[in-house]
Amino acid sequence: MKTYDILGYSFSAIKLRKLRAALTTLGVIIGIAAIVALLSITQGLQVSITNDLNRGLSANTLIVVPGSNALGAVGGGGGSLGGGRAARTTGTSSINFGGTGAASSGFALYDNYTSQIDVLSPLINSSIAVVERGGYVDADGLNNPATFYGVDFSQYASQYPTTFVAASGTIPVNPTNNEIVVGTRVVDPRENGTILFSAGSNVGIVWTNATTLQIVNETYTAQVSGVLQKVGGFGFGGPSDNGVYIPMSQAQSFFGTTQCDYIIVQVKDSSNATISSVSKLITDHFDGQVTVISSTAVLSLLSTIFGTIQLFLGGIAAISLLVAGIGIMNIMIVSLIERTREIGILKALGMKSRTVLSIFLGESAIIGLIGALLGILSGWILANITARLLGSGAFGGTGFKVTPLLTPEVFIGSLAFGIGISVIFALYPAWRASKLKPVEALRYE
Amino acid sequence: MTALVEAIDLKKTYMLGKVPVEAVRGVNMKVEAGDFVSILGPSGSGKSTMLNLIGALDKPTSGKLLIDGVDISKLNDNQLTDLRRRIGFVFQFFNLIPRLTALGNVELAMSIADVGKSERKQRAAKLLETVGLKDRINHKPAELSGGQQQRVAIARALANNPKFLLLDEPTGNIDSKTAAEVVGLLKKLNVENHVSIIMVTHDQNLAREANRTLEMFDGLLMSEGVNQQ
Repeated sequence: MKTYDILGYSFSAIKLRKLRAALTTLGVIIGIAAIVALLSITQGLQVSITNDLNRGLSANTLIVVPGSNALGAVGGGGGSLGGGRAARTTGTSSINFGGTGAASSGFALYDNYTSQIDVLSPLINSSIAVVERGGYVDADGLNNPATFYGVDFSQYASQYPTTFVAASGTIPVNPTNNEIVVGTRVVDPRENGTILFSAGSNVGIVWTNATTLQIVNETYTAQVSGVLQKVGGFGFGGPSDNGVYIPMSQAQSFFGTTQCDYIIVQVKDSSNATISSVSKLITDHFDGQVTVISSTAVLSLLSTIFGTIQLFLGGIAAISLLVAGIGIMNIMIVSLIERTREIGILKALGMKSRTVLSIFLGESAIIGLIGALLGILSGWILANITARLLGSGAFGGTGFKVTPLLTPEVFIGSLAFGIGISVIFALYPAWRASKLKPVEALRYE
Repeated sequence: MTALVEAIDLKKTYMLGKVPVEAVRGVNMKVEAGDFVSILGPSGSGKSTMLNLIGALDKPTSGKLLIDGVDISKLNDNQLTDLRRRIGFVFQFFNLIPRLTALGNVELAMSIADVGKSERKQRAAKLLETVGLKDRINHKPAELSGGQQQRVAIARALANNPKFLLLDEPTGNIDSKTAAEVVGLLKKLNVENHVSIIMVTHDQNLAREANRTLEMFDGLLMSEGVNQQ
C-alpha cells in the first residue's frame, strides 16, 4: 500500500471520531504550547538581557570584587547578578557584586587599592573604586528605588567619557558633599515623560541602615547637579540609568564604611591575552582573595544560567506532553479494540502486518503533527500575551520589556517532539494491531 | 492440469483452552478452474475452518492444501498475505468499512494491492456497474440495503482479478428476494465471466445453486454430488 494511501486511510479513521481525536490532539497542543511559550519567553529574556548587558559592558573593563569565588556565588551570599532591587527595577539595572561575600571572606577592598592596581602592569589604563548601596530617592514625598554609587566624579568621567555625560546640568569636577548626579530613570522612573525633578532640584537620599542593632532610615538632602543622558542596558560597573552618583567621601561617610565594594579596572585592549594576564596579576597581588570579573565571563555565566533555566522549564512542560502521550496510547488501545474486526477485514483483503502498523502510527503522527503545529501557534500567542503583561507591569514593578523569541531550533524541536511522542506512545497499540491473526480478528464481536 | 484448490488428507486441530478440537479430520477434495462449488454442512461440521484454510487465513495442522499448485502450509505470513490478495472474500456480514463509500470499499482492496489511484477508481466504478450498483457508488454502507451491501462486497472481492471467489454464507443476512438476486449475480459471474466460486453454506437450497456440492459433517467430507441446474 502506498504511503499516501496509508495516510489517507489513517486520516479517514481520525475523521470518523472527531471529538475523540480533537481531545487527544488537545493534550499535544497544551504540552507543545507550554514548551514553546516557556522557551520563547526565556530565550527572548536571554537575548534582551544579553543585549542590555552588551550595551553596558565595556570589553576592556574588569571588575575586581572581594572574595575568591564571587562570580561562582551568583545568586547566593556573595555577588548577586541582577538580584534584589536590580531585578525589580529592571531594564536599566546594574549588576551588583561584593556585599556580604566580601565580609564572609574577611577580606575587604579599600579605595586606595586603586593606586596599587594602577602600577601592576603597563596594560592597565586606570582603576576606580566604587561603593554601591540600594536605597530610595525622595522627591516631593515620593520614594523611588535607586542604586547609589559612591565614585570620584572626575575619575569616573574620564573612565566613561561617552556615557557619564550630563544631558542637563553639569557633572561637577570638585563636587561638594551634597551634590549628586542621577541617571535618567531616577528622574523619570516610569519612562513615560513624568519628570519628578530636574537638575538643580533638592531631593532626599534615603538609605535603610541595617548594619546597626536597630534598623534605621538614614537620610540627607542632596542637590542634583546633573542628569545623565540615557545610557540603556546594564551598567556593568559603568553608568546606569537607575544610578545616583554620590561623591566617594560623602558615600563612605553616609554609608558608614571605609571600604569600597568593587574596583573597576580599565585595560588598554580587550584581547583575551590582556584580560587574562591582567586578571592574573591582580588576583596574585591580592593573594587570590579577590575575583576579577570580565564581561566575557559574565556573558558566559549568563548563557549557562539561561541554558539551565530553559532545560528546567522545558522539562516541566515536557511532562505535560508525556501525559498527552499516555492519552494517545489509551485512545489507540481503545481504537484497536473497537477496530479489531476491521483489522481482520484488512488482513483478509491482503494487507500486510507492517501496513496495519503504519496505519496506526500514521494516525498518531497526524494527531502529533496537527497538535504540534497548533501547539506552536498557541504557545507563540501565549508567549506574546505574557510578554505584553510583563511589559505593562501586570506582574508588579514598572514592567519588563521582553520580546519572545521563537528560534528555528525550538520550532523544529517542538514539531519533532510532538510527532515523536505521539508515535512512540502509539507503538505498542500499533504493534498489537499488526500482530492480530486475521481469523481471530474476523471472529471478534 | 493443476487444480485450482486441492486438499490432500487436510487436518486442522484447534486448542480450545487446553482441549484439542479436531475441526477438519482428513479432507480430500479438488476444485477446478471455472467451478462453482458449494461446501454444505451444519454448524460445527468444519466448513468454516475449511473456508479459513482455503482463504489462506489459517494454516493446516497436517496434510496438504494446494492453491494453484502451491502448498499453503509451506508459506510464511507475508506469502500468505500475498496469496490472500488473489482470493476474493465475500463474508456473511458483508464486512464493508462503514466510513468508506461503495467505491471507496472496492478501491481499498486495490490500494492494498498497490494499484494506482486513477486505474483503481475506473476499475472500481466498472465493477460496481457490473454488480448493478452504478447509481450507488458514492453511498456509504449504512445507506445501502443488505443486498446492495453484499453486491459491494462481491465487487470488492472481484477487485484484484482473484483466482476464485470464496463466499461465507453470502445470503445468510439478507431476505430471500435479495438472496435470489445475489445468487443470480454469482451464477452470471461464473458462467459469463468464468469466475471460479467456492461457497460455504448450511442452506441446502443455496448449495444446490452451485454446480457441485461437497457435504461436510463432523470434520469429514461425507459426500460429493453434481447439482442439476
